[in-house]
Amino acid sequence: MWVIYTLNGLYFAALLFLTSLGLNIILGVMGILNLAHGSLYAIGAFMAAWTIIQIVTKVPEPLLYVSLLSGFVLAGIVGWVMEKTLIRAMYKRTLEYQLLLTFGALLLLEDLIKMVWGGQALYASAPFDLLGKVEILGSVYPAYFLFVIAITLGVAFLIWLFMGKTRLGIMLRAISLDREMATGLGLDIGRLSTLAFVLGSGLAGLAGALVIPTTPALLGIGMEPLIFAFIVVVVGGLGSLKGALVGAMLVGLTRSYGIAIFPEIELPLLFLIAGIILVAKPQGLFGR
Amino acid sequence: MYFMRMFGNPKWVTYGIILLVLLFIPYLLSTHDLLLFEYGLTFAIVGLGFNLLLGYTGLLSFGHGAYFAAGAYAVAMMGKYLPQAYAMEILIPAALLFSLLISIIFGFLCVRHTKIFFSILALSLSMLLFALLFKLYHLTGGSDGLRVPIPTMFGMAFKGVRRPLFLAGTYYYFLLAMFTLSFLIMRGIVSSPFGKALQAIRDNEIRAELIGIRVRRYRLYAFCISGMYAGLGGALWSFVNGHVTPDLSHWVFSGEIVYMTLLGGFGIVEGPVVGAMIFTYLKLYAMGNTEYWMFVIGATLIILVLLLPNGVAGGATALWTKIKNKRLTAENAENAGKN
Amino acid sequence: MSNEISRRNFLKYVGAAAITVGPLTGATKALGQAKKPIAAIPIKIAAVSFLTGAAAGPFGIPADNTFKMCADVINKEGGILGRKIELLSKDENGGVDAQVKLARKLLLEDKVDVDLGYISSASCLAVLPLTDELGGLIVAYDCGTHELMEGPKSPYEVPKFKLGFKSSAHLGIDNVGLALMIKKYLPKIKTIAGVNQDYAWGRDSWLIFETAMKKLMPQVQVVKTLWPPLGNTDFTAHISALMGAKPDIVHTSLWGGDAVTFTKQAAGMGFFKNIKTAWSRGEPYPQELGKDFPEEQIICCAGTHYFLYPPPEKSPLNKWFVEEYRKRYGKYPSYPCYHAYQALYLYKHAIEKAAKSAGGWPTNEEIAKAMTGLTFPTPSGDITIREDHSAVEDVLVGFSKLTPKYPFPILDPKRMEVFPANQVLPPVGIRTVDWINSWK
Repeated sequence: MWVIYTLNGLYFAALLFLTSLGLNIILGVMGILNLAHGSLYAIGAFMAAWTIIQIVTKVPEPLLYVSLLSGFVLAGIVGWVMEKTLIRAMYKRTLEYQLLLTFGALLLLEDLIKMVWGGQALYASAPFDLLGKVEILGSVYPAYFLFVIAITLGVAFLIWLFMGKTRLGIMLRAISLDREMATGLGLDIGRLSTLAFVLGSGLAGLAGALVIPTTPALLGIGMEPLIFAFIVVVVGGLGSLKGALVGAMLVGLTRSYGIAIFPEIELPLLFLIAGIILVAKPQGLFGR
Repeated sequence: MYFMRMFGNPKWVTYGIILLVLLFIPYLLSTHDLLLFEYGLTFAIVGLGFNLLLGYTGLLSFGHGAYFAAGAYAVAMMGKYLPQAYAMEILIPAALLFSLLISIIFGFLCVRHTKIFFSILALSLSMLLFALLFKLYHLTGGSDGLRVPIPTMFGMAFKGVRRPLFLAGTYYYFLLAMFTLSFLIMRGIVSSPFGKALQAIRDNEIRAELIGIRVRRYRLYAFCISGMYAGLGGALWSFVNGHVTPDLSHWVFSGEIVYMTLLGGFGIVEGPVVGAMIFTYLKLYAMGNTEYWMFVIGATLIILVLLLPNGVAGGATALWTKIKNKRLTAENAENAGKN
Repeated sequence: MSNEISRRNFLKYVGAAAITVGPLTGATKALGQAKKPIAAIPIKIAAVSFLTGAAAGPFGIPADNTFKMCADVINKEGGILGRKIELLSKDENGGVDAQVKLARKLLLEDKVDVDLGYISSASCLAVLPLTDELGGLIVAYDCGTHELMEGPKSPYEVPKFKLGFKSSAHLGIDNVGLALMIKKYLPKIKTIAGVNQDYAWGRDSWLIFETAMKKLMPQVQVVKTLWPPLGNTDFTAHISALMGAKPDIVHTSLWGGDAVTFTKQAAGMGFFKNIKTAWSRGEPYPQELGKDFPEEQIICCAGTHYFLYPPPEKSPLNKWFVEEYRKRYGKYPSYPCYHAYQALYLYKHAIEKAAKSAGGWPTNEEIAKAMTGLTFPTPSGDITIREDHSAVEDVLVGFSKLTPKYPFPILDPKRMEVFPANQVLPPVGIRTVDWINSWK
């Protein structure tokens, strides 16, 4: 069973990683904490659910998995709109305003989701059902969870490639390390910031989309992932890719083992761990 | 001597008139509206304290719900576990004490940082309290929350008195007294050397340190004072609401506190008072009229931040200053013309 | 002169008054309505259920539909004593605090005649005390916690709330019923586990089940208890933990969206291969999940509420109810629907009874008096409200089984059991836990 608990933890960690990576990219490159990040997760979830419901009996099965990307795309688009309208206006203002604006955006987006998709739960479990089960060391395990873990590893690799080897990626990292110097070197901060925001939002949307085959899309679905993402950022350190990975795994595995061993504790346990790490190393494990 | 100066000062005259009007509110409003008004007053108290941290010390906490919850739960838990000591004279100090305790612990961890990390940390710590209140079902009632019965007050018992009657009578005046006291104390703090030091820290941390102000310590003091104000507000709120839930410590609720302070204008003592009252009515009006009230509140917030960054009170003050200046320039022009 | 006339007039007037008033006072009691006519203004009834969120689909919307259906039917028949029902459907979503504020608004500002509300035990616990605080009438129609109407110690004073009622029986019947069912049909099991939502409903359901099992089958061991929060969407860790503990039966009071999500995720993880679940209020989910709902699960109906029980030949009222609901909404009614019917008709019958002695439209106190001890017919049988303001019902338990006639599992007709109320409910004034512990 421990293999199963570990896989569960990794599955949860995978979703968490995508969400907190998105948060971290925006935080690192733009210095903005996007409180509406959870709403982008929700938008990804609803978009994916809705798309699958529309096409489920009409298209060949592999397309259903591709359609999950619709969550990534819509969240990215919404992120683009947000950045161009709200965040731009706030570049010169102080932190308080940025946080308040994103908080206002959260309220707005939550109700926009309600307006567009209604207040009922949207179930779209076909991608989960179709992959069936696999046998692992005598236990039966849904293949979909392994699929999610695989996708996330793929995305992590792509991001690592992007950040480390492409010009755009290196420019993004430069800005996050030293904004002033980057401006001095002539980097187009405006366009790059937009890119970072779109990418970060898209990742949140992707995480939301990936969870849909196992969970219904519901109003407020993004609130808990947001809190977990905060914990990961706090534990892993601001703006660090490695931190997001390690933090996500720590949180995911703790939760999985925690429920199996100490069922009473669940959420507070994670905060306790975050608190201990903060007291010992205030910037987080890999923070600057 | 300060007292004497008050009478000549137009500001204090205004306060006096407002206080006089407030004394008659229970006779002017319906029961339901009076309840809303009392909610507004409790949030005004929270806002007063929060403003000290945000407007005067420059620290933005998205986790002040934790101290509000501390005060509210202190009252509720005493109702559950120590009903023999369930008297207002004991409950208010207990709430202040409990919220002070939590502020010290959380504040100590937070004030080591600034800006983003401070905000994230304050938020996360409030969510820790939320998670504890949520999970410790047998102690705190979990997500179901706890009831807050009517307490005795200075020897008066209210057996058989229905809550609306209690709230419209004795309780209203007690709440008004607490609010007035809190307001006067905050005015005092803000004009004191301590208050000036906080503003110095907000404006330029390094310079403040160089002058000899112990930045971290003063931040902690401001944090704890604002925490106690939140706790007092929470306790007073709990009697009006009659019920407490862990949501009081959730970061979205803390966001509403920030919203109120901004709405009214931070950096001015009266700001959050105005903001709290407006927000309470705005939210309830929106909730009563549309199912998309979050959209309304969110849109209002965004518009406010973009157009009226100094809040309503700030905007009003700016307008007042503009009018005064216009008058002054007109006067000067006249005088110049005369000469 | 004037004095004399006045005195004569005075005596005349007194005499006249005595002659008229005397019989009148007697007549008022006898003639009732004739003395105080009832104005034909609509009755404002608030119906609060989950209209959005995960609990809406399986619960809140069916219940709300039923309220609408019954109000429509009653209005077509002339309303209650000539007054038409104006139904205000409100959303129970948004948390306990929002419900407290909503109830206050409904009773104080909107001045509804009655608040028929609440699916979640959390809402009920927070809102019922408002009846005392505000003097309004509230009928809790679906929430199940026994703590709602019980006092802290046995014996306790009844009623707990003068104007607060519960028109359905509490979760004692479900959980004791499950224990009795397991003892009868699965006497050889060795281990049980529980997965219940972490709030009053979940905690109380498990408590009663565990207490009853300890008494009835003391050899059975509890191997795991899990407490996911209400509204949890990811049960994978819980499912794995349960499977790891290898229980024979898992007790669950999961309801609404949580029940649906849990079943889907569990089925995908092979949970039901070796484990049976005992659902304390599982009746809606076979229809909700269709063929995805596994067979051989033990299902309890929160009473005897089932579209197939009592069978149409035996209960014309149930036949009508099922057909009418199906006609309007395309599905078979589930227990939240039956509960909604009970609440509205309880109110109607109580008004009619109270009006006879009140001589006009009754006050809340008079309605409350009429409700206490009232027995009235429902599609599931006759229901009685006893002195503790709570309903007395029998409980129906069965095993899920696929049959060719329906696209979802039904209760296997060969193994359906109805346990009478006196076997599953404590006597008035005694706490359920104490009553179970006193069994021989």
